[in-house]
Amino acid sequence: MAIHNAAVLHGMVVMNVVRVENLHKEYQLGQQQVQALRNISLTVRAGEFLAIAGPSGSGKSTLLNIIGCIDTPSSGRLWIDDEDVSGRSPDQLADLRARSIGFIFQTFNLLPVLSAAENVEYPLRHFKELDKAARRARVTHYLEVVGLASFAHHRPNQLSGGQRQRVAIARALATQPRMVLADEPTANLDHKTGEGILALMKEINRGAGTTFIFSTHDPKVIALADRVVEISDGELLV
Amino acid sequence: MPDVLLALRSLLRQPRRTAIALFAIGFGVVALLLAGGFMEWIFWAMRESTIQSQLGHVQVVRPGYLEQGAADPYRYFMAEDDPQRTYLEKFDHSREVVPRINFNGLISHGDATVSFIGQGVDPARETVFSRDLVILEGTALAVGDGQGLLLGEGLAANLGAKPGDTVVLLATTPSGGINAVEGVVRGLFFTSNKEFDDAALRLPLNLAQRLLKTQGVHRWLLLLDDTAYTDTAVAKIKMHFAAEGAELEVVPWYRLADFYNKTVALFGRQLSLVAGIIGLIIVLSISNTMIMSVMERTREIGTLLALGNRRRQVLGLYVSEGLWLGIIGGLAGVVIGVALAQLISAVGIPMPPPPGMKRGYNGEIMLTWSLVAGTWLLAVASTVLASLYPAWKASRLVIVDALRHGR
Repeated sequence: MAIHNAAVLHGMVVMNVVRVENLHKEYQLGQQQVQALRNISLTVRAGEFLAIAGPSGSGKSTLLNIIGCIDTPSSGRLWIDDEDVSGRSPDQLADLRARSIGFIFQTFNLLPVLSAAENVEYPLRHFKELDKAARRARVTHYLEVVGLASFAHHRPNQLSGGQRQRVAIARALATQPRMVLADEPTANLDHKTGEGILALMKEINRGAGTTFIFSTHDPKVIALADRVVEISDGELLV
Repeated sequence: MPDVLLALRSLLRQPRRTAIALFAIGFGVVALLLAGGFMEWIFWAMRESTIQSQLGHVQVVRPGYLEQGAADPYRYFMAEDDPQRTYLEKFDHSREVVPRINFNGLISHGDATVSFIGQGVDPARETVFSRDLVILEGTALAVGDGQGLLLGEGLAANLGAKPGDTVVLLATTPSGGINAVEGVVRGLFFTSNKEFDDAALRLPLNLAQRLLKTQGVHRWLLLLDDTAYTDTAVAKIKMHFAAEGAELEVVPWYRLADFYNKTVALFGRQLSLVAGIIGLIIVLSISNTMIMSVMERTREIGTLLALGNRRRQVLGLYVSEGLWLGIIGGLAGVVIGVALAQLISAVGIPMPPPPGMKRGYNGEIMLTWSLVAGTWLLAVASTVLASLYPAWKASRLVIVDALRHGR
């Protein structure tokens, strides 16, 4: 809270959305012990448009998963919004994700039985402070932001890959999270569509100040990032 | 979109698999309804037969008669023209009030003398009560016949008596002496109870009273027009007797129907076993279906968890799917089961003759509300039970592994 107040007093946002310190991640793969992340320390500020770049198997997805609180580090600490989330219970982390983190997946991962609008509304259903009208308004707003207002009632299988990823972006934005994490968001899209998705993300970042962190190995996507963190063999390259 | 509706849509997405699951549940429900309904019908037939041929719905006796009456029958006589009899006859739902005397004695024919169990009856009122008693030879007791006897098949064989023969009945009187009367065998009968037929004889009330030197009777048997009314009737009659100061005991049929009660207990146990097996089949087939569904939708579950659903919510989602399957499959089973029951009852189930009987009969399926509701609840409960483990598995998936699944 003190930091919040200080930030407001000085009239500028100095908050760190994400801070990781000395992060290590090991896991067992068959008989082998895999060292996925080694001694990672990183700070992401509010409003950044950050790419975590590296070849496949470099650990960029693992890092993104840990930042997204869907995976836990073997050692090291993680702050989200300057709050230490190490050692929180699965339910506490679920609540944190529901409120503070938006996800965009490589394979879109929309719920196939829900329409585009219902998919966007889905993460809001436990938001007690929003009544039905407010939720509808948000859904409409974010579908407009991603340019799919006229596809509100389409099911995912009636949409193209690019359209699905746009719905996923709208879904990630609907909760108005502190940050949006995107793991290889363009890997399953053709180049032109992928560029469009990236451009949309960047536009939202510029317009609404939403923090984006995405992983990619595509040099053309990396080129669009404001800041690039390179990772190789589980270590950050400085 | 509430989770329960999401669950329903997820089921509809796999129409074929859902249909198979519903079929399994519905089939179980139909099987249990038919088996249970058939037993229910047998219980009903047996209950009504016992009541209408032996017990009546309500018996009125002197207090203590049922416990000690066999040893000392003379202490428990009620006056034949007791004013309470009129009350019973005018009682609402009353169809018939029948007097009974029960006693033991010896019967002689020629050189043979054997003991018997005697039933003094009023032939004029006995017609509604004699459904179970089949006249094998000769005729039934005629109204106004003061000497006629009906002998059980086995008793007549022991005595070597046949219709038209004169026999002598011996019994002790209230004063302790021995009295004898003559009677004429009018007919031979058999019932579904062979032991009874080996020892029983029926005689008109006034002949029994002459033999026992009494004017009284042991029981009033009250036959109602509806078995379901029994408890109300017993309560009302008790209240009336208490108000009038009449020292009489009011006994519902089921306190006397030992054979019926034990049969119901036995078949009821069998039915629970059938219900258990059907429940198990539902659990096995549905849990298999649900596990397949969880495996196929692993990445979707990972997404749900990543989006901030708590494990409990994912658990709830899958349990809701089970709940829907149970509710819908159960309802479909009930609809089909009820229709089939009507059809089968209309056609009839040919049954072999029961023990002691010469002719078979047509069985039916009788569905009661409690059977239908119970069966439906069993379907819902076992389906929910079957979905618990898959749902638990789904809720325990490691998010990152689930998201990577199938890639």
